[in-house]
Amino acid sequence: MSLYIFSASHISIQEPDSEKWFDEPIFYNSRYVRSIEPDFNLFLSQMVSRRMGKILKRALTTALCALKKSDIVMPDAIITGTGLGCIENTEKFLNSMIDNNEELLSPSFFMQSTHNTISSQIALHLKCNGYNSTYSHRGTSFDAALLDAIMQLELGDISNALVGGHDELTPDYFNLLDKIGYWKKGEISNEILSKSNSKGSFAGECSISFMLGNININNAICEIKGMEMFHNPIPEYLFSEMETLLHNNNSNIHKIDAIVAGINGDIENDKIYTDFQTRFFPNKPLIFYKHIFGESYTASGLGLYTAATILQKGKIPQNLFYSNYKKDIKPQNILIYNHFQNIDHTFIYISSC
Amino acid sequence: MKDKIFVTGMGIITGLGIGKDDTLRALLDKQSGIGSIRYLQTIRKELPVSEVQFTNKQMYQLLNIPDDDIYTRTALLGRIALKEALQEAKIYEKRPNRIAFISGTTVGGMDKSEQYYKDFLHNNHKNHYIETHDCGATTELISKEYSGNCEVVSTISTACSSAANAMIFGANLIKTGRVDAAIVGGSECISKFHLNGFNTLMILDKNQCKPFDKNRAGLNLGEGAAFIVIESEKSVKIRGVKPLCLFSGYANSCDAYHQTATSPDGKGAFLAMKNALEQSGLKPEDIDYINAHGTGTENNDLTEGIAIMRIFGNNIPPVSSTKSATGHTTSAAGSVESVISILSLLNNFIPANLNFKEPMSELSFTPAVDTKTSKELKHVLTNSFGFGGNDTCSIFSKTY
Repeated sequence: MSLYIFSASHISIQEPDSEKWFDEPIFYNSRYVRSIEPDFNLFLSQMVSRRMGKILKRALTTALCALKKSDIVMPDAIITGTGLGCIENTEKFLNSMIDNNEELLSPSFFMQSTHNTISSQIALHLKCNGYNSTYSHRGTSFDAALLDAIMQLELGDISNALVGGHDELTPDYFNLLDKIGYWKKGEISNEILSKSNSKGSFAGECSISFMLGNININNAICEIKGMEMFHNPIPEYLFSEMETLLHNNNSNIHKIDAIVAGINGDIENDKIYTDFQTRFFPNKPLIFYKHIFGESYTASGLGLYTAATILQKGKIPQNLFYSNYKKDIKPQNILIYNHFQNIDHTFIYISSC
Repeated sequence: MKDKIFVTGMGIITGLGIGKDDTLRALLDKQSGIGSIRYLQTIRKELPVSEVQFTNKQMYQLLNIPDDDIYTRTALLGRIALKEALQEAKIYEKRPNRIAFISGTTVGGMDKSEQYYKDFLHNNHKNHYIETHDCGATTELISKEYSGNCEVVSTISTACSSAANAMIFGANLIKTGRVDAAIVGGSECISKFHLNGFNTLMILDKNQCKPFDKNRAGLNLGEGAAFIVIESEKSVKIRGVKPLCLFSGYANSCDAYHQTATSPDGKGAFLAMKNALEQSGLKPEDIDYINAHGTGTENNDLTEGIAIMRIFGNNIPPVSSTKSATGHTTSAAGSVESVISILSLLNNFIPANLNFKEPMSELSFTPAVDTKTSKELKHVLTNSFGFGGNDTCSIFSKTY
């Protein structure tokens, strides 16, 4: 079974629905950066967007852009990953409920507070009656959504899928996560995140949509060869499964040209990746992307996007190298490694078409 | 369905009690768990709910969890149901090689967040509950009941169909060969957040809910958790465990009509049932019992009823909504009602639709009010629908 990424679209802290970040990323000196939003009126009617919070507008816009680029009008499935769901609406309802002691509440924020509002609003907009689901599992929310799509494509239940990863971060929730050590203390330059040796990362927001399918269309971005997820694995087991994943796809660690990893500047988080690279891929480039896009629960979706863009363009810009810089490398096979708190781990193996 | 998926264990906790035995007894006795609010701290005491009759502290003791461990109510409920499912499937005696744990929730850690949100923002003594707010954190806490490594652990959040969709994801993990067994289901406590949310939508009945009744006036919320262990045929043989039944079909479809209302002809519900039947290779007349989503709201029961009529025509099997006994356990409803459906399948009875008096003029059927049936049940179907039109249907069959 061959699977392809047909198209992708993002709204993030880089220029929206653009690949400018690849050669000329915007770097920030802040530990909390919110997405750069496009003029939503170019994509959504005012009647539609007026009723929607930030995350819904962003998700719907990237979904419509990804669909348009793939020339698919109606997807067979709509699958979303989101760590916090519609947290802005959730907070509005929650604050109003607490402040007014359960009185004088309006239903609109509650109606659009559930995590599945994203997938279902996309379906509603497209009038899509196909499979529709939502994953909300911390830093592997997007990964599970992708795995769901991949499995249904493997089983032949669907022939294409719209898969997204979406998270907004409100100022209040940024502060809550700050209290429990998610973010670096004091202002930092994101550009030098690779030289950091402290705890915490810097916060971004994520909205990324992909169209996937099981036929090789002319302008597909790349091929997804395989994907596996693990929970609390013994390291030896995890590594042997990584090799099995490659082996099952007629590959091996020597054929991998680069590793794309969820390095985020947090010393404990990053050590998992650097140890992994040192052991299995000591001479291969280690590529990172969260210094450009920021950390969020669904940032791993931007990791797949980064890796796919590298394959499509056939080059790796200098800004993306965490270590083992190589000039003029033309990567064809990439292994993407994402973990969350060393509990949930994901490998995705992708190749150029 | 080409590859057979077996059910080898299940566990449940609701307002009807802890475990399959208590649940079965309550269903046969036509008991209801719905009553006045005892545990939830809210001003809305006039709203009937079906609460699990234990405090968090009592559940800590039941599970032997140290007092200073941090747990949300949803996680505690989940661990109790998971423990029973693991025992019945003999997971520890004969461990499957590869296993997944997939749980559905939407409330997650909201029960603590709604108590301490202002503390989170303005002081620091409840900060440990910040990390338990999100849905995935709840699943991580429940998964502690299973000691050992898993392949995939994940969380589905499709509102009131979450647990049913967790079952589909688990089945696909088995079918694609990624795991031999998957523990699937969902857990949800009642929170002030969604009690008030449903209340603003004006879909909560101030009395005991009356699904499929002409005078139905909304739903009653419930809380609970249920997990089932599903397994490949090969794994069942290798482990030598006795399957309870087959998970013979499932389908997910989106109504794509409105965020909180259903389409007039129940399109999403119709497609979910039609596709699940197709996948199972069964005909509508093979289904011996329908455990309806049947919330008791004007909108759901009408459109679900119409969809049932479209699928089953003049040959509608007994239909009931057990939400009249358990309340609407929201994200857990899919697995709670799967366990109830499997209990009915294995014990040949029809769980009664409580509080029914007057037929709905729009429907050609009335819900089952008597538990007795002269017919042996071979295939049962259960519906789970959520906000946003996330509609899922599951079918269970006897193994012979």
